[in-house]
Amino acid sequence: MTLSVALGPDTQESTQTGTVTWTDVLTAPDIPWNLVIWNDPVNLMSYVSYVFRSYFGYSEAKANKLMLEVHKKGRSIVAHGSKEQVEQHAVAMHGYGLWATVEKATGGGDGSGSGKGKGKRG
Amino acid sequence: MAKAFKSGIKGINGYLEPAERELLRSLFDDVVSMLEPEERANQDPLAALVGLDTEAREPSDRALRRLLPNVSKNDDAASLEFRRYTERSLRESKIGALKAASLGLDKDELVLSPADARHWSMALNDVRLVLAERLDIRDDEDAGHVHLMQDWSQAEDVESYLALVYNFTTWLQESLVQAMLQSLDTRG
Repeated sequence: MTLSVALGPDTQESTQTGTVTWTDVLTAPDIPWNLVIWNDPVNLMSYVSYVFRSYFGYSEAKANKLMLEVHKKGRSIVAHGSKEQVEQHAVAMHGYGLWATVEKATGGGDGSGSGKGKGKRG
Repeated sequence: MAKAFKSGIKGINGYLEPAERELLRSLFDDVVSMLEPEERANQDPLAALVGLDTEAREPSDRALRRLLPNVSKNDDAASLEFRRYTERSLRESKIGALKAASLGLDKDELVLSPADARHWSMALNDVRLVLAERLDIRDDEDAGHVHLMQDWSQAEDVESYLALVYNFTTWLQESLVQAMLQSLDTRG
């Protein structure tokens, strides 16, 4: 996935409103968003794994890997998608009692949202 | 004494004593009443019908905030807007699961369909989230401390009673989820 072609770094440097426009670019619908699950001391590891398997249809291995990441690192990105998609997942996760938030992908992880910027992020 | 849930041919089977069923019923009811949206006199009925709540705001009660969390970690305005569109239906779906679980408490023997089991696991989870806030469980160490409380003859104050109830619901949910995972495995 790439960033909108309308505004490259070059355009940015030549305008006063570069930062503002960049923010607009980042909220464009085709920029991937992340669904993040946070650790808490209450939710059972088995339950979290069950939710990942039954809701997302993940394999046992993938569900357990993500669950352990939540447990050990405090958070894990468990799904990507458009803002609307990850928000829908977030509501479903809240329904299950998991602590979920959405965030814009910053492109650090798997490169899918990295675009061609020079590290400028608004 | 309750028996652990087991995955069987007709669904997931469980057994609860009458006193345990009464306890669960009152826990489910308590969480339902926490979640029931307040009726406001000036509420737009059409907006309510489509699940929109223009006056929704982040709950001040910690337990309720955990049941209905913000969707963004650091954008309060985005969280609030999202809450206005989604919180009412989230409350309703949680209430639906809690009431469905409560309805199944009429008999000692429980036979849960996959949908029943899902409602039960969600209901037990919400009950545990609320109890955990009341018990101030903030991290794994706190959880471990509460977990040590297993003997009902030790119940001498509200906190120890809550800890015992928390541990009972934890055990029950764990046994249910194990049975659900097992039926997930056999279904492929």
